Amino acid sequence: MYRYDAIDRELVADRAAEFRGQVARRLVGELTEDQFKPLRLMNGLYLQLHAYMLRVAIPYGSLDSRQLRRLAHIARTWDQGYGHFTTRQNIQFNWIKLADTPDILDELARVDLHAIQTSGNCIRNVTADPYAGATAEEIDDPRVWSEVIRQWSTLHPEFSFLPRKFKFAVTASAKDRTAARVHDVGLVLRRARDGSLGFEVIVGGGQGRTPYVGPTIREHLPVDSLLSYLQAILRVYNRHGRRDNIYKARIKILVAALGKDEFARQVEEEWSKIEASQADLPDTELARIRAAFTPLDFQTLPARSATFEAARTASPALARFARNNVKPHKKAGYAIVEVSLKAPGATPGDASADQMDLLADLAERYSLDDVRVTHEQNLVLPHVKLDDLPTVHAALESAGLATPNINLISDIIACPGLDYCALANARAIPIAQAIARRFEDADRAELIGELKIKISGCINACGHHHVGNIGILGVDKKGEEFYQLSLGGSGQEDASLAQILGPGMSGDKVPDAIEALVGAYLAVRQGEERFLDTVRRLGMAPFKEAVYADAH
Amino acid sequence: MPTLIKLAEGRFSAAEDVFADVADEDVLPDGPVILSLTRFQADGDALVSAGRRVGVRIQADEAVEDLAYDLPQLAVVALVFPKYRDGRAYSSAALLRQRLGYAGEVRAVGDVLREQAGFMVRCGIDAFAPADGSTPEDWAAAAGRYRHVYQRAVDARPPAFEERG
Amino acid sequence: MKALTANRLLDGEVVFWQSGGWIERFADAQFFADDDAAGPEAVETAKGQPTVIVDPYLIDLVEAPGGWAPVSYRERIRALGPTNEPTHGKQAEGGAGIEALLAATGAARSTGRVDLIRRK
Repeated sequence: MYRYDAIDRELVADRAAEFRGQVARRLVGELTEDQFKPLRLMNGLYLQLHAYMLRVAIPYGSLDSRQLRRLAHIARTWDQGYGHFTTRQNIQFNWIKLADTPDILDELARVDLHAIQTSGNCIRNVTADPYAGATAEEIDDPRVWSEVIRQWSTLHPEFSFLPRKFKFAVTASAKDRTAARVHDVGLVLRRARDGSLGFEVIVGGGQGRTPYVGPTIREHLPVDSLLSYLQAILRVYNRHGRRDNIYKARIKILVAALGKDEFARQVEEEWSKIEASQADLPDTELARIRAAFTPLDFQTLPARSATFEAARTASPALARFARNNVKPHKKAGYAIVEVSLKAPGATPGDASADQMDLLADLAERYSLDDVRVTHEQNLVLPHVKLDDLPTVHAALESAGLATPNINLISDIIACPGLDYCALANARAIPIAQAIARRFEDADRAELIGELKIKISGCINACGHHHVGNIGILGVDKKGEEFYQLSLGGSGQEDASLAQILGPGMSGDKVPDAIEALVGAYLAVRQGEERFLDTVRRLGMAPFKEAVYADAH
Repeated sequence: MPTLIKLAEGRFSAAEDVFADVADEDVLPDGPVILSLTRFQADGDALVSAGRRVGVRIQADEAVEDLAYDLPQLAVVALVFPKYRDGRAYSSAALLRQRLGYAGEVRAVGDVLREQAGFMVRCGIDAFAPADGSTPEDWAAAAGRYRHVYQRAVDARPPAFEERG
Repeated sequence: MKALTANRLLDGEVVFWQSGGWIERFADAQFFADDDAAGPEAVETAKGQPTVIVDPYLIDLVEAPGGWAPVSYRERIRALGPTNEPTHGKQAEGGAGIEALLAATGAARSTGRVDLIRRK
């Protein structure tokens, strides 16, 4: 983990002090709301339906136990005792008072946390594979590069007033757990044929009103040139991105308008003029950051744990948990454990302060003090010994954190929606709860297999509905909440945008529609096909028929 | 309320603005003038040859590169912030200093607020026409808020990794 | 019928206009007839209070069995709290005003759906 030193701490402390001053000036009217709003957004503070919402940055989704306990403390002291983990690996508190925010930021700073640039037209949290440092799949640790970009982008003087928000994702495995292809910039670490490390640079992906799978504008960028190249991309965007219409202001619009080749040409031209020695990091600094993520003190263990095997045989619940939530680790005798925040009937992505404290204890004791947030609103204990799995599972079970549904039908992504968000047109949480309850039966969920449902309460797509195997978009139709279903999306390495299935329906019809889709899939699936695969093989027709046939 | 705040050798001070900001349709007054890019491209050579002190006003959507050959003759480049949230002038300032090597005054005009002092200074802007009634002391306070910076920019501040040695 | 609502600057709380001041319960809010100039006048006065509230605006009301209620479910959620957590927000206080809002039926633009807010 990257450990703050005095310099990192002073920067965060200075930021908190700056915001304290800005809040004070706002409260006495020296700053208008129009002048203050971008300043508070750049500190992650939204004004939502019921209260302010504070979005705390969790850089590339990585926390230690001390930080997680502090988040629990903040939830108890200044909120309603819970927090919401987001699709960008951050955490949100829904019931914050503006007047308390300076104290909260000071409190966060004490454990090297902050809310810097979690909103606003600037570079946002840089996400990374939540399995970084634990999976055998990765060719390099993406957190190294996320941290490089984090520092470079923090209070960057040239790029703090962009046309619109800017989001990076970094992945280094064949399996993409970051949705890199629907980010403003997705960076995929690869080895060139000569073995050198580089990035495939994807620019102009995105969701929202006009979704795009981003094109690759450069197949191989040597890793040492990352920052100078990013500077070129950001400068082209800052100068030429649209500023006349907020719905046309993301970089994806610029890339689409210019075409990927012309956009790439402009970036390369700008890049050629940038003085690399001024822009790129010296080797010493790269080495310093990389050293923060060097492999931990793993024990040498046998691949097979007799303790775990015996417990798994004796407990069907543990066996099911292992089947769905436990993933292979690069070290023999260890495992990656996904913790589902999608208990059927619960609000997706929410965790109570008590649950956070329990997870902090488990992370400290059983996961080398390391816990991650995924972009699918779940958590990960990345380094759990197989020997400890039965104990960890039992502890998770006692706290309602052992739902064995990772990537299954009830592992739904849902944005806060109209229950909380000032931008929303419809509620998303009750839809997710209704579907999850309908498919609560664990046997049935496993029978159905991998099925990613993603629900957004408005076109801004914070629920990532464009890349759902089943995407659900809530809309306002003459004052009523209606829901539009779409099929065939994927946010993984095989990225694709979901296609609209048919006319929208009222909320109470949605679980039946999902039932019909599942039924249609089970009737025709071949072999090990996932729902997504069947949709891709057969197209929309059989699914449309299943959902809308009765409507005649 | 000063009309201009200048930054020199790390210190902010109030200054009289000797330049007349001339609109395209105005008659040209005597003395130092700031013209639009269009008007400068039409009349600028003549004025400079006559020994006048001339500056150019660059809008957010205009390219500073268009001034590349004229910069040595320019006393001032005024970068317009149509709205403080429009960040294009930051890139213009950085290009003026780093790529085009401009050593004259780079002035921020328009919706210029003290809260953005730090970013402006780091991009090489050294004169400010504030729209919010702020004083040189306000600007010094805002620009001096951070003991460290993470990245290199136009200014000479060493980034954090250089401080660490 | 209309009411005037905003969010309180200090804590983001949803508030309603009542005779020149701001109160937290919709049931206590001042109502303006649709053609009453007092409504827009109140908005203008409210806009002159930038250190008290943020973004004041008028909302439409509909006559419901328990009294007037906001037409749109967005404004009912603002007046009550989130539907996924009945112990959070103003609804947790309970009482006749909250009960009336929760039971409110009818909305000018819907096609006859019964209660728009369904309690868990």
